[in-house]
Amino acid sequence: MSLSPEQLQAIRAAAQWYARLHSGTAADADRAGWRAWLAADPLHDQAWQRMAAVSEQMASVPGALAAPTLSELPGRSRRQVLRSALLLTTTGCLGWLGWRSETAQNLRCDYRTGIGERRAFQLADGSTVLLNTDTSIDVRFDGKQRVVRLLWGEIIVTTAVDPAQRPFKVITEQVEVLALGTRFIVRAQAQRGEVAVLEKAVEVSLRSGGPATRVDAGSQLDFSDRSLGRPRANDVSVGAWQRGSIIAIDRRLDALLAELSRYRMGVLRCDPAIGDLKVSGVFPIDNTDLALAALESGFPLRVTRYSRFWVQVSHSR
Amino acid sequence: MSANDLYLRSAVNDLYCDHHGWLQGWLRKRLGNTFDAADLAQDTFVRVIKARSALDIREPRPYLSMIAKGLLVDLFRRRSLEQSYLDALAAMPERQQPSLEEQAILFQALMEIDRLLQGLGPRVKQVFILSQFNGLTYPQIAERLDVSVRTVNNHMAKAMEHCCLMQIQLQLA
Repeated sequence: MSLSPEQLQAIRAAAQWYARLHSGTAADADRAGWRAWLAADPLHDQAWQRMAAVSEQMASVPGALAAPTLSELPGRSRRQVLRSALLLTTTGCLGWLGWRSETAQNLRCDYRTGIGERRAFQLADGSTVLLNTDTSIDVRFDGKQRVVRLLWGEIIVTTAVDPAQRPFKVITEQVEVLALGTRFIVRAQAQRGEVAVLEKAVEVSLRSGGPATRVDAGSQLDFSDRSLGRPRANDVSVGAWQRGSIIAIDRRLDALLAELSRYRMGVLRCDPAIGDLKVSGVFPIDNTDLALAALESGFPLRVTRYSRFWVQVSHSR
Repeated sequence: MSANDLYLRSAVNDLYCDHHGWLQGWLRKRLGNTFDAADLAQDTFVRVIKARSALDIREPRPYLSMIAKGLLVDLFRRRSLEQSYLDALAAMPERQQPSLEEQAILFQALMEIDRLLQGLGPRVKQVFILSQFNGLTYPQIAERLDVSVRTVNNHMAKAMEHCCLMQIQLQLA
């Protein structure tokens, strides 16, 4: 069998549509144009199926492995690729080694949770810290201050009144959060994070300097390496993980899946073609397979399991 | 078995007896090791048998070495992929590492993808990998590679077309 010129032309057009829809900036007009093209000729549909087959084959491997393996980069640049992959996937602890070597470590202790795990700890002063999935903190109390270092992940802190009136701080790589007698959440990811306040208030400041921003109960603030966002009203789902769920209201599917993937091992991939589908619901995080089943039954999507570690969500076409 | 099949068989047999030792020596010189040379020599004859071409061969040694060269390239490609794959695995956090069985399956899948990507220009391939596997948007890729978003889009379209045609070709083979 060889392909006819018409088939070849349809494949070329399908590839162009595929490229346009996967730009990460595709608009509704692009999708409408694509649907019109698809409906215009059965050959178009056939050609599109072939694109889907290619896409499916690409999706059969985790991107974190495929990118460094397939990249044609000799010697040092290959290692650079690997290093950036490493930074994306590990906890970003590397930059924190300095702190570990500091003196006065006698009161320091480490608390960690694995993927899918959630644990509460009571600190020496009676404050409690609840660690969400895949989280590491170091705690250091001394005569002058109480410091929790959030190395990676997400915590809810409930501070206790300290007879010695030492300030209570949560420090991430980027920011310092000063508690003003309170209950709040801090989440640290690579190069960014957020602070959400449930009771009373906190003051957030960049560790690189600059003025502090006060965040009151019911508000949250995003931060990055270089800047603090403005406080805004808390998302409806803030802290829902304490009770074992994620709440989504008209949330993009890709964002929800990224959130769910924090709670499960391996790769949970969203087909970019369906990433902007809006989904709503309460999804359990202690059993993410159940969450995926709920998505599959409630929305026009299909969950494909290539392996225990590799799950893809795509259109149920 | 038809008469033709008998002829074919005897031709393969002759080819094997006359040239197998030579081919293995030829491969050993290039690989520097007897085991791999023996394997590849065997694979070369398997190709010849599958192609049912033994009767038409006029110059056996150039023909055999042409097939063997292709297999050598495949082997080197496989080794280099294997090395980068192991490096990539080692760079993953331990708790995310797939089991040994899954590692083997994933490597097989990666080799097949690599085959689809063969023949793409390095820039096109880089764009494709950044989009497909690193999940970058076109504006992000454009910034990183210092090209226009339009170029990124065109490279992606080219890569998809290429992969699609390769996939069809491999399915037919």
